[in-house]
Amino acid sequence: MRFWEIGKRNLKELYRDPVALAFLLGMPLVFILIFSFAFGGQATRPLSIGIVDEDQSQISAAFVSCLESIPALEVAPSIYHSQSQAEEELDTGELSIYLLIPHGFGEAVQHQQAIDLQLAYNEADPMLPQRAVPVIRAVALEFLNIPVPLNIELRETEVEIKDEYINFMIPGMAVFGLMILIPSVGGIMVRDRVKGFLSRLMTTPARPSDFIFGYTLPFIPVIIISVAIYLGVGVLMGLSIIGNLGLAFLVLFIMGICCLGIAMLLGTLAKSEEQASGAPWIFIVPLAMISGGWWPIEQMPSVIRDIAGVLPFMHAMDASRSVITLGVGLEAITNDLLYLVGWTVVIFALGVILFRRSMRG
Amino acid sequence: MTSYRAKSAKISGDFAIQTFNLAKTFNSLVAVDGIDLNIKKGELFALLGPNGAGKTTTINMLCCLLKPTSGTAQIMGYDINRQPFKIKGIIGVSPQETAISERLNPQENLNLIGEIHGMNPRELKSRSQQLLETMGLADRAKDQVRKFSGGMKRRLSIMMALVHNPEILFLDEPTLGLDPQARRVMWEYIARLKEDKTILLTTHYMDEADFLADRISIIDEGKIVALGTSAELKTSMLEKHTMIIYAQNFTQQVIKEMRARYAEVETTNGTMTISAQKLDFKEIVDLLHTSGATIRSAYIKEPTLEDVFLHITGKELRE
Repeated sequence: MRFWEIGKRNLKELYRDPVALAFLLGMPLVFILIFSFAFGGQATRPLSIGIVDEDQSQISAAFVSCLESIPALEVAPSIYHSQSQAEEELDTGELSIYLLIPHGFGEAVQHQQAIDLQLAYNEADPMLPQRAVPVIRAVALEFLNIPVPLNIELRETEVEIKDEYINFMIPGMAVFGLMILIPSVGGIMVRDRVKGFLSRLMTTPARPSDFIFGYTLPFIPVIIISVAIYLGVGVLMGLSIIGNLGLAFLVLFIMGICCLGIAMLLGTLAKSEEQASGAPWIFIVPLAMISGGWWPIEQMPSVIRDIAGVLPFMHAMDASRSVITLGVGLEAITNDLLYLVGWTVVIFALGVILFRRSMRG
Repeated sequence: MTSYRAKSAKISGDFAIQTFNLAKTFNSLVAVDGIDLNIKKGELFALLGPNGAGKTTTINMLCCLLKPTSGTAQIMGYDINRQPFKIKGIIGVSPQETAISERLNPQENLNLIGEIHGMNPRELKSRSQQLLETMGLADRAKDQVRKFSGGMKRRLSIMMALVHNPEILFLDEPTLGLDPQARRVMWEYIARLKEDKTILLTTHYMDEADFLADRISIIDEGKIVALGTSAELKTSMLEKHTMIIYAQNFTQQVIKEMRARYAEVETTNGTMTISAQKLDFKEIVDLLHTSGATIRSAYIKEPTLEDVFLHITGKELRE
């Protein structure tokens, strides 16, 4: 239990340093508040959408033109004539959502019959149909000029969301916020190394794993409080949690532990506090971007998505969004969770190995 | 390697610390250049040398913080390359940096080290209390150490090296940065530990080595250049002695007579300095007295370790 003794010491050092503690706990609060006030409730850019015109009638072409004229929509340049074309592009990520105008659309309009439109979208971004449905419904009703029955297929859970933008962004911001802890946490180990305290502890019988877990321990409460702040403030700012709150918490908590593992690697490898505080930003912001922190990953080139898919951050964002917005259960996110746990185990194991090497300069 | 083990097997019973051609290089810099040391159990052994001589590198290798480039060492029979955790269980280290946990109080700092060493709580409490009292920190035991003076932090650093009652104690520049009075107090603390423990102390203060050490090894540019007790080093290395006389009325006649008898005689402003392989204190005083000089004081200047270092290396041991 030597790690416990080292952990207790680090816990006391951290919680007796009001400035460090205020930064660690205040940062997520300030971060999420600023973000929520700055971006909450706004649809900041046009929704990119593909259109499959199976009807290919003059009426359907006119409807498409009408859609193209709406500033809130950015209609893909080519209009698909078959669903399979659009489906293929949806799979490859070229498209994230498309509207299917079925055969008989023009005829139904002429005869004022019920019109069925279908929206297909990638589940990874549950925000998309929520943004698209009201716009398309408004355009269709405007276009038809008379109230005909209009059906747009959608999942039931998604219509419960109060603010789709907040629901998309909060999980991404939470993961990014946890990533931001990496420099601060790693820096604490580096500070002890620079001041010689770590060397002193290395002359005791403490093993590498004692150090890694002993330096991780005090930050577990920080992770718990941070995740609570992200979700709690998120709810206050309009986040709708459709699924199990505990499951969403668990996903973000594991992501936080994974970030602590990365911080331990950083603390082991960095030679100075400047390195520890500066170097991580080279990867934190780009990784948050390509993992879908700020915009849907489906809009990115496939190579970027492949890279993001290998790393844990995208899985944390996907899993937490799926639980929060789609209301899915544990089974649906098992793969993402396994991915996260796997990465966490590998990172901590690597931390122990590298720390062992660092103990004999 | 085999030869080191064979050699150590014969003599390790008498020695607590042995190094066998121990060397460390950093890129092209040779920090420690194949040193052989045999430090007896219960001995206080000083590694004396200027900054950058290789003292801390040597101690870091012995504490298993640095891997030697070549050679090896044994601490109480355990090999530093093969049994580092065995060694870490029996040593106490006070590093050159004070290296204490600033937001913990002295008691908590001592508890940390004691608990890592697996001491039982009762033993730890009693040992900590004893150390806090001995080192004069009992009344500050509950105060965070970040506001302590340099001397108090140094004392705590040494207490942390001692709390688990190690057989071997490494003190790396234990009085670095302390004022003369605090240094003297620290020496007294260290002197009390002699014989109870084997102590390897590094210092670049010659008076510290002189005051504390049973034996001194002078290290320069990674090599051991001299080894022995303070007296041995001083007497064996120096070829001449110096006498200094403060007096009035040195006559030309007596100066001439002194120069006829001794190799080097200098006079300046009432001071006569005489250097020679052999000096006859009584004869010199009598001659001066007879010549009419009024002697205020006269003494044979003891050679210092500084003189020894200068003699061996041709350099001054700067403090």
